[in-house]
Amino acid sequence: MRTKIEEVGLTFPSALWLIVFFLIPTSVIIFYAFKPGDLYGGIGEGWTLSNILNLFNPRHLAILWRTVWFSLLTTGICLLVALPTGFFLAQISLKNRRILLLLIVVPFWTSFLIRVFAWKSLLHPEGFLKKALVALHFVHEDTLLLYNAGAVLLVMVYTYLPFAILPLFTAAEKFNFNLFEAAMDLGATRSRAFYKVFIPSIKPGILTAFLMVFIPAMGAYVIPDIVGGVNNEVLGNKIAQRTFVDRDLPEASALSLSLALAVLLPMMVIFCLQATGSDKKKSKKASNS
Amino acid sequence: MNVKRFSFWVTFGTLIFFYLPILMLVITSFNESRFGGVWRGFSLKWYHQLFSEETLWKALTNSLMIGIGATLVSSILGTLAALSLHRYRSMLQKAHYGLIYTPLVVPDVLMGISLLLFFVTIHLRLGLFTIFIAHTTFCLSYVTFVVLARLQTLDHALIEAAEDLGASYWQIFWRIKLPQLFPAILSGALLAFTLSIDDFVITFFVAGPGSTTLPIYIYSLMKFGSTPIINALSTVLIVATFAIVWIVQTITREQK
Amino acid sequence: MSDSLEFDNVIKGFGTVKALNEVSFSIKKGEFFSLLGPSGCGKTTLLRLVAGFEKLDSGRILLDGQDITNLPANQRPINTVFQSYALFPHLNVWDNIAFGLRIAKHSKAYIKKEVEAMLALIQMEEHAYKKPDYISGGQKQRVAIARALVNRPRVLLLDEPLAALDLKLRQRMLLELDLIHDEVGITFLYVTHDQNEAMAVSDRIAILNRGKLEQIGRPIDLYEAPKSSFVAAFIGDTNFLDGWVAEQKLKEYSLLSIENFPKVLCFNDKQLSVGDPVHMSIRPEKIHISRERPADRPLINSMPGIVEDIIYQGDHTKFGVRVDGHRMTVFQQHSRFLLDESPITWNDKVWLWWHPDDGFILERYQMMKENDVENSFEKSEQEQSELGKI
Repeated sequence: MRTKIEEVGLTFPSALWLIVFFLIPTSVIIFYAFKPGDLYGGIGEGWTLSNILNLFNPRHLAILWRTVWFSLLTTGICLLVALPTGFFLAQISLKNRRILLLLIVVPFWTSFLIRVFAWKSLLHPEGFLKKALVALHFVHEDTLLLYNAGAVLLVMVYTYLPFAILPLFTAAEKFNFNLFEAAMDLGATRSRAFYKVFIPSIKPGILTAFLMVFIPAMGAYVIPDIVGGVNNEVLGNKIAQRTFVDRDLPEASALSLSLALAVLLPMMVIFCLQATGSDKKKSKKASNS
Repeated sequence: MNVKRFSFWVTFGTLIFFYLPILMLVITSFNESRFGGVWRGFSLKWYHQLFSEETLWKALTNSLMIGIGATLVSSILGTLAALSLHRYRSMLQKAHYGLIYTPLVVPDVLMGISLLLFFVTIHLRLGLFTIFIAHTTFCLSYVTFVVLARLQTLDHALIEAAEDLGASYWQIFWRIKLPQLFPAILSGALLAFTLSIDDFVITFFVAGPGSTTLPIYIYSLMKFGSTPIINALSTVLIVATFAIVWIVQTITREQK
Repeated sequence: MSDSLEFDNVIKGFGTVKALNEVSFSIKKGEFFSLLGPSGCGKTTLLRLVAGFEKLDSGRILLDGQDITNLPANQRPINTVFQSYALFPHLNVWDNIAFGLRIAKHSKAYIKKEVEAMLALIQMEEHAYKKPDYISGGQKQRVAIARALVNRPRVLLLDEPLAALDLKLRQRMLLELDLIHDEVGITFLYVTHDQNEAMAVSDRIAILNRGKLEQIGRPIDLYEAPKSSFVAAFIGDTNFLDGWVAEQKLKEYSLLSIENFPKVLCFNDKQLSVGDPVHMSIRPEKIHISRERPADRPLINSMPGIVEDIIYQGDHTKFGVRVDGHRMTVFQQHSRFLLDESPITWNDKVWLWWHPDDGFILERYQMMKENDVENSFEKSEQEQSELGKI
């Protein structure tokens, strides 16, 4: 009995905080989604399904699709780049590894907004990069590097790449590279060994990396806002717009719900995939002799 | 091309990719001209303009205050959470774990808007206080996981040894557990502070008029303000970040 | 000498597995007592029960006559030396040793005196202010011992403390432990799976197998007069012979009839009668081997055989000799300059003989499970020995 009270006491502070400031607000969204908005930007009386039904109109579905598509593309590119990088990092000496890891992580300690801004500057029509590319005849004078899907994708990959590199590197580090040599000893070429031995064994890392990029990418707001054009709006933008510009909180809530669902589904899929792959932890025996 | 070579070039390319924009920014901040495309000579005038901006200093102060506050509260709450998650294995803890884990996977936009609606519903005025609450909320989970990871690698034999030598639970906590945990708690706190200072989206949703934080200030500059100042500001922040990282590295290396 | 520690019908299970099954015995004050057995036999569990880290299911543990079964670990006047040493990494050697004394709220002067005395005992005065990361394995072990002993416990528990050390260091530390025990004089309860260690330093040994007490006694009792085949096989090497009593020859000697083997004379201290089944054990070093046939005597077992296997060990050679349907293991000590002699070699026809007093009849014969036998041969120094065919 005594330990139960102790347990509840220890759990109470953090649990209470999160219930009040996380769980309840999340439920509030669900609540609001079913209420009508009033003319002055507040909440109307009664209940309505109109916000939910609105989710199924083509404009919204288009935005939802675009959000998912952007996120998938970003995740795919990030994984493709992060895999060789993680592989490389895991192979080099420990001292070099630490230095390289630091080099990779440090830019991300600078402000996120600033990094987005740096790209906006770099891709600016009057900017240095554009001028250099034009001089090299890679692009036409009139093409815009900014305010299009490409820019959004580029900056998203830039932002989320470390989130893909770190879990993949962690998984690669745990990989026993002797297995590589064993495979080659049995006749596999280097690349065959890579695909058949290395990749399957870091599958959990790949799944984690997928989640760590896909979910934040789905919630992207700032990047499309700063470097994207009008045609590159994603869910995040729409939610912000409904909240601050249109002052339509119920519809913003409904949109949020759709975002939440779009994020929840892949999460559950990945969890199932992770659960089937992982070892079950053996129950801890106090001693074995 | 063999795999090792290929992966080396990808890594190399990635590093260049990471540093290119930052480098550009720093260089441009010293550019006399307004636009990055043309170099018109070395100048510090954007820095002068930057440092005379009143709003900048106010935003910085706000960010620091909130950062310190959120770090303190989330560190305490997060450590307590980690201790209970590690010590007990009941259904309550399973639910507790879910509660702590979920904020980490929820996109910022969702968290921002849910807190906004919550504050509106309970008629809490949006301002620095609401920002503080929001920051503490998302920092909590990070601190918990950092401390929990350390707890899990803690040698259980140490606890038994202390018990064997006569220590009570509290004595074990203060003399053994806490000193062992301290670096982890510090790491978690540092992480929380960084997250708080840098947060934009959630802060944007729950900030009231007149309560600016550094990221919000930067955003407003980006959308409406003078571009070259941002270059200067960015460079200052980048240099500050590198300096802090370098200092931390030297300290931790000395300790080894 | 009174009893220091007493175990009364101790039962402890984990899930469906009984780690300890009705274990009862007692340890005398000041004894160096070892718990020996293969992995999974329950020895560590027993130690942890004494320390207080586990609760037993039923039974009692008594310390100096007082029931400590339900006393929490931090209130027992018992201290443990852990296998991993468990030194507090954030404290230096001095503070590690002083830890228990500070918890007990002794005066500063007392603590200083005691810690310095301990440091002298373990010869670590120069390293007193180093942190555990900066001292070697052997030094860590000494600090762990000091940290426990400084509290003057009534019993010192040692959980395979030498397991993490290399061979030479192990041998040295074992001697040091013995010396410390002699100097300090308290009861040591020592857990190990290395029989050589246990035999070298213990006053008495308890052999455990699968949670049950097999035999308890002095090392010499266990070696020369094992009660069961498990003990006979676990400690040292031996040859097993099964048969039945064929004839009673002279008052104490019985002639045993063994399948595929010549008849064997054996000292019958178990009062077996003609027709009774018997299990006998004869240790390899008690058997003589030679090319010449030994002189006939009334009390001798001699038989011819062929050498199948030779393992030369320098000071002795281990022979595998085929006698009828059995393979006997024989040790021959080389007490003369071997190069002057023509040593026995493969396929040689040899004679084996031993005195009937030197074999022993086992009380209990257990079916050897593979684990039991394999586990006793864990250590690399112990060669794989093939027992006589059973």
